[in-house]
Amino acid sequence: MFGLIGHLTSLEHAQSVANELGYPEYANQGLDFWCSAPPQIVDDITVTSITGQKIYGKYVESCFLPEMLANRRIKAATRKIINAMAHAQKHGIDITALGGFSSIIFENFNLQQIQQVRNIKLEFERFTTGNTHTAYIICRQLEQLAPTLGIELSKATVAVCGATGDIGSAVCRWLNERTDVAEILLIARNQERLHDLQAELGRGKIMDLTDALPQADIIVWVASMPKGVEIDPATLKQPCLLIDGGYPKNLATKVQRPGVHILNGGIVEHSLDIDWKIMKIVNMDVPGRQLFACFAESMLLEFEKWYTNFSWGRNRITVEKMDQIGHASIKHGFRPLLDS
Amino acid sequence: MPQLEASAAIDFRSESYQDAYSRINAIVIEGEQEAHENYTKLADFLPDSRDQLHSLAKMESRHKKGFEACGRNLSVTPDMEFASQFFSQLHRNFQDAASQGNIVTCLLIQSLIIECFAIAAYNIYIPVADDFARKITEGVVKDEYSHLNFGEEWLKAHFEESKTELEAANRQNLPIVWQMLNQVEDDAHVLGMEKEALVEDFMIQYGEALSNIGFTNRDVMRLSAMGLAAV
Repeated sequence: MFGLIGHLTSLEHAQSVANELGYPEYANQGLDFWCSAPPQIVDDITVTSITGQKIYGKYVESCFLPEMLANRRIKAATRKIINAMAHAQKHGIDITALGGFSSIIFENFNLQQIQQVRNIKLEFERFTTGNTHTAYIICRQLEQLAPTLGIELSKATVAVCGATGDIGSAVCRWLNERTDVAEILLIARNQERLHDLQAELGRGKIMDLTDALPQADIIVWVASMPKGVEIDPATLKQPCLLIDGGYPKNLATKVQRPGVHILNGGIVEHSLDIDWKIMKIVNMDVPGRQLFACFAESMLLEFEKWYTNFSWGRNRITVEKMDQIGHASIKHGFRPLLDS
Repeated sequence: MPQLEASAAIDFRSESYQDAYSRINAIVIEGEQEAHENYTKLADFLPDSRDQLHSLAKMESRHKKGFEACGRNLSVTPDMEFASQFFSQLHRNFQDAASQGNIVTCLLIQSLIIECFAIAAYNIYIPVADDFARKITEGVVKDEYSHLNFGEEWLKAHFEESKTELEAANRQNLPIVWQMLNQVEDDAHVLGMEKEALVEDFMIQYGEALSNIGFTNRDVMRLSAMGLAAV
């Protein structure tokens, strides 16, 4: 059985979902309530691969809300993730993806230190961040879409914002080893990590955001921040492909300029048969035939019975693992999203 | 991304800590004493489980002694009057139910609500306790899981005929737990225990117990929401 740990996108969203699901008592509660709400399994999911194979899963709502980060309710935020993981494990789920902010919070606040949760010892091998599949899908989106916009990869400069993160560094490795992109611009806050990455790749220019963006034919945005960042659209090249692989995805509303093509990154389209109710309600960012690649990773691990934390820790994603998950992705009917 | 602030070290000998501890420690001692009495009472109603219930009652007495030692270790005199007042409503509801032979209500109050409350509080307390109290509490919390299990098993076996009474007992008693939590919020904070973490752990434990007994997820959410009526 696979699992997905998800959360809603805002307090307002949470209140409307509570109403829609028929819990009016919860619908008018404020942030304090959500800070002490327990995790819930809110849906059972059946997925049929294009191979005909059928798997079962559960959706765990962690009750985390992005406002918890914005309002410095950090302890509450970390508790949500740990408790949702304990809940998934208690319900016998073999492999669970940490969706949305879950994996970011897990990594940022070093939650691997908290292995004992009440009477449960978390078995981390039952969880995956889904980052390998996300990174793979972003790379495939880039490779497939850029030429259609008149951007030739061998002449292209690619700026990776959030280059030292788990997904960002994997994208850099893939670009380096599997493509002939002309130039990679590395953008991140931590200089030490940037220099380590540059040394590992043996290439790449370390730059700051404002200098890098105007030079880029392709921008891969994989930085995650609750409040987002300001980009001046007027400085961007025309044409420019901007892949929004961060969380939450909000660049399309911020950047509007002719010739700048914005694509939601890390999203797969699928022709699988997925029977679930909850996604229609909670998955507001993406329509029915689309899915976050990180969620799809736990399905792939279940299909292939790879019961292991396939994506775990920071900067451990190799191009070989991206190949491996990519192969399974194609086999079971997932495709990189190419339409914006 | 904001950063987690390091928690300030707790001074177990400070005046404010000892003042708060005098009430929290008393609540725990009183809770264990009442649990002892409640299980002894339940043994009269459930002759088949008599020996088991007497053994649970005995464990609660032992816990009480352990927590009394925790108070002495910090040279704190527990405020037993406060504690008896703190439990008075739940205590009265248990007595009333017992006098009418409502075993289901008695089990919900003692074996579910009080045990879940205890498990949540002890689990949140352990990481911020002094060394002496931590060892005692770690031992106690293991026992409390088995007490909770007794109630769960009995109610599960009698689920269909207990359902209506469970819902009514939940409606009557869950808001009281919320009021109790509000009452000790400040003292618990001094001990390094956050109310929202206590509520969350309680809801997790209580929700799990209700679902083990046989309630559906939807029932559990509906039943849990009744605590909110107190806020």
